[in-house]
Amino acid sequence: MPGTRRHGTPWGTLAAHMKRPQQIPRSATALLLVCVLLCGCGSPTAKRPGLQGDNSKAVNFSGSWELDYSQSDNTQQKLDSVVGELNREAERRAQGNMQQGPIGGGIVMGGSGANSGTSILGLARMADLITQSPLLEIVQNENKILVKREEDFALSCEFYPGQYRKVETPFGIEACGWDAHQLVFKLLLPDGLSIQHVMTIGAAGQKLNIATTVVSDQVSFPFTLNRVYNRFEPGETGFKCQETLTRGRVCTTGSR
Amino acid sequence: MYDWIPLSRVRERRAVRVLCIVACVAFMAQGKPALAVTGNDAGNTVEAGQLDVGLPIFDPGIPADASTHSKLGIFPEIRKAEAKYMPVMLRQALVDSGDWGVVRVLPEALESSELLVTGTILHSDGQRLELQINARDATGAQWLDKVYTGTTTSADYPVKVPGDPFLDVYAQIASDLLAMRRQKSAKQLADIRHVALLRYASGLAPEAFASYLALTPSGQYELLRLPAEDDPMLGRVSRIRDQEYLFVDTVDEQYARLSEEMAPTYNLWRQFGAEQALYREEFQGRVSSRGSEGPPGSFAALEQTYNVYKMSKIHEQDLDELALGFNNEVAPTVMDVSGTVVKLSGTLDTQYAEWRAILQRIFALETGLAPAP
Repeated sequence: MPGTRRHGTPWGTLAAHMKRPQQIPRSATALLLVCVLLCGCGSPTAKRPGLQGDNSKAVNFSGSWELDYSQSDNTQQKLDSVVGELNREAERRAQGNMQQGPIGGGIVMGGSGANSGTSILGLARMADLITQSPLLEIVQNENKILVKREEDFALSCEFYPGQYRKVETPFGIEACGWDAHQLVFKLLLPDGLSIQHVMTIGAAGQKLNIATTVVSDQVSFPFTLNRVYNRFEPGETGFKCQETLTRGRVCTTGSR
Repeated sequence: MYDWIPLSRVRERRAVRVLCIVACVAFMAQGKPALAVTGNDAGNTVEAGQLDVGLPIFDPGIPADASTHSKLGIFPEIRKAEAKYMPVMLRQALVDSGDWGVVRVLPEALESSELLVTGTILHSDGQRLELQINARDATGAQWLDKVYTGTTTSADYPVKVPGDPFLDVYAQIASDLLAMRRQKSAKQLADIRHVALLRYASGLAPEAFASYLALTPSGQYELLRLPAEDDPMLGRVSRIRDQEYLFVDTVDEQYARLSEEMAPTYNLWRQFGAEQALYREEFQGRVSSRGSEGPPGSFAALEQTYNVYKMSKIHEQDLDELALGFNNEVAPTVMDVSGTVVKLSGTLDTQYAEWRAILQRIFALETGLAPAP
C-alpha cells in the first residue's frame, strides 16, 4: 500500500514546552471554552446558520482516497503550535493579572485538569487517533454520503432541503450538512469532547482535505489536524462482489 | 336455443355473440381447478358461517418524509418486502383455523370482499412487531380496528421453518376475527355475502343492481331486496367475479412464492435485528455503569468516550450492511413478483373493463335501455 508511513510518537518534546504549573480559574477555562465553541467548533446542538442539508449544489466526493502523509499536517508541529499559543495566552494573562488581579492561566505541568500537560497531550493524541485512516471509500448519492474509513466507523450524512442532519443517541449527538462547498460533520460526545470534520475537495477533484478539529473542555484551545488524501482507482479484480445475508459476500466473475 | 331473447334479429345476433363470450369465459372459469376454492356464491356448498376474506398487502408504514427513515430505524425496501410477507402469514393463520372460506392476498383492496382485512406496519425490527389491523365486512361494518404487538425472546431464533417468531400475533388477529364472526347471526352472514356480490354487481352494471342496496348515512350498505335466484344477470356477474378471482388467485400464488423465497433471508434479518437491539440495550447499561479509565481530559478518558461512540456506530452500520445484504438477496424476487402482479393486475383491469362494457351492452339489450356512457 503506497504511503503507509506512520507518524512517530509526537509527544516526546512536550515537556520542553511546558511551564511551571499555574492554576487556571474554572471560570476562565469555561469562558475560553465557550468562545472556542462559538468560533467554529460549536456544539452541534445549536443550528449553525451556514450548515445546510440541501444537496443541490453539493460537491461529489465519491471515490477511493489514500492518505498523503507528505501533505498532511505533522501532529508534533501542530502540538508545538498549540502549546506555543497556550504559553503566549498564559503570558498575556499573567500581564493582565499584574494589572487587574489574578485570572491568569498556562500549561499545568503534569497532573490533570484544565490545560494540563496530560490534557493537551490527550487532545493531540485523540486528534491523531481519529485521523489515522489511511484509506477512505466514499459513496455519495443525491440524499446520502457514506465516508468509509479504514479502522474506524463510517461518517454518514443525509441531505434533504431545508434542514441539516442531527441525530441524538445516548452516546452522543451528531450533526452534518453543507457549508457552501464543504461538508461538515460535528460530533458532540459526553465528558466535554467534541469533534468536527470539514471535508473539502480540490479544484481538479483529485485531492481531498479533511480538517479535523478536536475540542476538550479541559484544554482552552482546539486542536486541528489537516489530512490530505489523493484519489486513486482501485485495481480491477475481475470479480463483482455483493453482500448477502444468508451467504455472506458473494463474488461472481465479470467486469466491475 | 336463444328463442327466449325477445329481440329483433339484429339485436339477437349481437346478443348471441356477447353471450357466447360470456359462456366461453364461464366455461373456462369452471374448467380451472382454482375455481374449486373460489367464492361462496349462491349454489356453492360452503358452510353457512364461512366468509371469504380479502387481505390486501399491508401498508408498509413508511413516512413520506424520507429524512426521518434512518432516525426511525426504517429500512424502506425491507418494509416493502414485509408488507407483502406479513399478509401471507396472516392468511396462513386464517386458513389453518379452518373458520373461513377462501382467504386471498390481494394487490389492493377489493371493496366488495365479504371481509376485508387491512394492515399497517407500525414497527418491525425482529424484536418487536406492531401491526394496526382493520377489518370491515362488505356491508361496511367494522369488525376490528386494533393495534397488535408481539415481542420475541432469544428462544424464537433461529426461526424454525415453516414458522414465524410472531405467529402469536397472527393467531390473535385470527382469533379476534373469529370472535367477531361468532357474534353474527346466520342471516347477517348471509346478508354480508349477498351485499358483497351485489356491490360487485353494482360496479359492473349500476343501473341493474343499484336498487338492491341502500347506503346509510353512516356509510353502511343495507340489503333492500334480493334478485331472483335464477336472475340471469346475477348469474353472469357471479361468473365474472369467479373469473376475476382466477386472476386474484394467481396473484395470491405470487405473494406466497415471494414469502417462501424470502423467508430464510428475512428470518436471518430479524434474528440479527433482534440481537442488535438486545446488544444496544446491554451496551447502554454497561456504559452507564462503568467508571472513567483516566482523569478528565486525559487520553485514556477521551479515548474511552470516543470508543463507546465508535462501537455504537459500528453496530448501527452493521445493521445497514445487513439491510443491504437483505436487499441484494431479496430485491430480485420482490421485483419479479411485483412485475408479475402488475402484469396480472393490468390484465385484470383490462379484462374487467371489457367485461363491464359487455355486461352493460347485455343489460341494454335485455332491457331495451340505452347502454351506459
